[in-house]
Amino acid sequence: MKISAAVAAVALLALTGCGASAGASSATGDDFPKKGKSIDLVVAFASGGAVDTAARLVQPVLEKELGTNVEVINKPGAGGQIGYTALTSAKPDGYTIGATGSPSVVVSPLDPSRGAKYTRSSFQPLGRQVIDPAVIAVQPDNPYKTLKELLDAVKANPKSLTASTTGLQTGEHFALAQIQETTGAEFAPVHFSEGASQATTAFLGKHVDVLVANVSDVTDLTKQNKARVLGIMTAERSPSLPDVPTFKESGYDVEAGTARGYSAPAGLPDAVAKKLEAALQKAIEDPEVVKKMNDLGLQTSYLSGKDYETFWAGQEADFKKVLPLVQKKD
Amino acid sequence: MDTLNELLGGFATAMTWQNLIFAFLGCLLGTIIGVLPGVGPVAGVALLIPLTLNLDPAGSIIMLCAIFYGTQYGGTITSVLLNTPGEASSAITTIDGYAMTKIGRAGAALTLAAVGSFIGGTVATIGLVAAAKPLGELGLLVGPPEFFALMVVGISLLVALAGKSMVKALISGALGLLISMVGIDPVAGAPRFTFGMDRLLDGVSFVAVIVGVFGLSEILSYRKNAETPLVHAPGFRSLFPSRTEWRRSAPAMARGTGVGFGLGLIPGMTGSVSSLLSYASEKKFSHFRHELGRGAVEGVAGPETANNAHANAALIPLFTLGIPASPTIAVLMGAFLQQGLTPGPSLFTEHSEIAWAIIASLFIGNVLLLLLNVPLVGLWTSILRVPTPILTALILLFMVIGAYTINFSVFDVFVMIGFGLLGLALRNLDIPLAPMVLTLVLGPLMERSLRESLEISQGDFSVFLNRPISAVLIALGVLIICSPLLKFRKPKALTEDPEA
Repeated sequence: MKISAAVAAVALLALTGCGASAGASSATGDDFPKKGKSIDLVVAFASGGAVDTAARLVQPVLEKELGTNVEVINKPGAGGQIGYTALTSAKPDGYTIGATGSPSVVVSPLDPSRGAKYTRSSFQPLGRQVIDPAVIAVQPDNPYKTLKELLDAVKANPKSLTASTTGLQTGEHFALAQIQETTGAEFAPVHFSEGASQATTAFLGKHVDVLVANVSDVTDLTKQNKARVLGIMTAERSPSLPDVPTFKESGYDVEAGTARGYSAPAGLPDAVAKKLEAALQKAIEDPEVVKKMNDLGLQTSYLSGKDYETFWAGQEADFKKVLPLVQKKD
Repeated sequence: MDTLNELLGGFATAMTWQNLIFAFLGCLLGTIIGVLPGVGPVAGVALLIPLTLNLDPAGSIIMLCAIFYGTQYGGTITSVLLNTPGEASSAITTIDGYAMTKIGRAGAALTLAAVGSFIGGTVATIGLVAAAKPLGELGLLVGPPEFFALMVVGISLLVALAGKSMVKALISGALGLLISMVGIDPVAGAPRFTFGMDRLLDGVSFVAVIVGVFGLSEILSYRKNAETPLVHAPGFRSLFPSRTEWRRSAPAMARGTGVGFGLGLIPGMTGSVSSLLSYASEKKFSHFRHELGRGAVEGVAGPETANNAHANAALIPLFTLGIPASPTIAVLMGAFLQQGLTPGPSLFTEHSEIAWAIIASLFIGNVLLLLLNVPLVGLWTSILRVPTPILTALILLFMVIGAYTINFSVFDVFVMIGFGLLGLALRNLDIPLAPMVLTLVLGPLMERSLRESLEISQGDFSVFLNRPISAVLIALGVLIICSPLLKFRKPKALTEDPEA
């Protein structure tokens, strides 16, 4: 009797033990990453979105390069602010890195009302992966056949059409602001703070009139003829949507989109930063990953940590211009 | 055939060895929780969420669902062998189950209960498969206004879960809403109730709150009255019911499946109601009703089939509408949300692969439980021999580790302990905890969909009434909220429901 009680107690103890893991220790760099200590890759958006998908493609190659587990952790909400807060408040020891996407990461610290706890200098950029231009799409049966028809209609009747964004001051919201700034057409934004998949679902259900999204979000939708893309906000047409005219071709000087890369909390030891940068470059430029990104309609355009930082600063200057248009007016 | 293809795809995912292990672990842990009389299913599922947080979404939900219906199997064992129900939904089984033990048919009773549970669970899961596709098609019709209306219906279930005092239920519900408001506002990104603390920007950790309020407070308020008597597990031979016993159980199982499935679809009904009503229907319809109470197999087979049919059927409103039908399901829904999955019509449009994998795992889990349960009765009963102080200490240890591993922060451990004390205070004040978990889970979803709807309508509240689906749902919600005013008498089974 006693023995079986002991066995049962031990079994329970074993069950309580699984799932717990050891605490943290500091890294100097040479021994980075420690055997068996996993690296968290914080994604500030929900699973299934473009940021998450890219991170999960890079993850296995990173694991191979660094020789340790890399765990993708989703912390969605507040247009990325929750995830970025978690990333920048983590220890700069290399065991927490994150996917950083603009405009969210660039803009959230610019608006004092958002009370962001981080600025551009809280991040240490490690490398840029992609640029994903913004597009504007309508239902396939929509009466407006061209971008000009759509924008003229909205100009005549401000706020007569609703347009989806993935949250206040996200790439889509900035794209709408830049359209308003340049063309004078004002849409009524509807912010789906859970991310692109939720915004797309609402568009497919015809709960919003216009889908503002990135190229990668609409590649499949156009293939299935569920959306008609009217314009793309880049200098040149996108290889994944060759039939879609750019805004420039239609006579509007608007360029908008999101850029995504990876960063760590500022203050990494040099040796650790070097290792992470090298591993990320390998992962981002891995032919398999590039191909899969292409399938998603995403053009890989790698920048090193340093260049990514310069690019980031440039975007910050651009966004400051239209900021008043995207601030919450209560 | 589309549904069949998707289900087969789900099986392909659910049959990977790691997902099978998760399902197996879930069944194992669920059975243990079912066996332990001190830990109810809500506390059990809450306390095991941290274990699953770091798994991939499919694996984690598969494991939690297995825990959830595993508790329904485990509760039977102590009812039959000890006359002490492990779970409220197996309480009625003690009458004939324990009587069967006294006449030496314990093994047969357990086998019949397990087979009945398997049948009830599997039939209800087939119902879920049938309902998933048509309701999943509705996914696109459900925009923010409709989703908000669904959440109104969900919140209105407070009324059904209120128990004795409506005021106390509302206090509990309001507390849950208040806790869910902490953190960065999902639309404008402004911090709320964070008191300048970085740690609160993410909100109060849902898991820490749930583990505290439900798990810790239950352990703190758990007082053991008597030593558990020594249990002799039935021998292998006696596990096989006789031909007569099978023949008599079959109609009872059929009735139990019907009762459990029907009631499981109605949000606000708990498994106990199903098992009570199943027993009542046996008293009415069984050919051997005069034997009920003296060890009639119908009194075991019926209710045990009913509570599992109920548990699996209750997943249907969760998967297809995003409405948690009971406190345990609300905790489960919270776990879905932790994994970035919003249960409801959009689940099948946005994450159909994961959804089908989970559904497939329900079938697998029911088979596993059938195989696990009966031959291992001896093992389950030996858990009861672990002295209570040691068991309690183990569970406490588990809770602290669990709360810590959510974000590897000691802060969460204190949150858990703080909310455990709050839960204890609420229990002592007789304030029900079920409404709190409901609002804690639904509050943020409700807020988000409300604000999205008003952006669509540009501030016009009539958006909820202009759209047929949302108008009907809002009306339904209002009706449920007003139902106590209509002097509607609750059936006896509801007012005495130990789980509410």
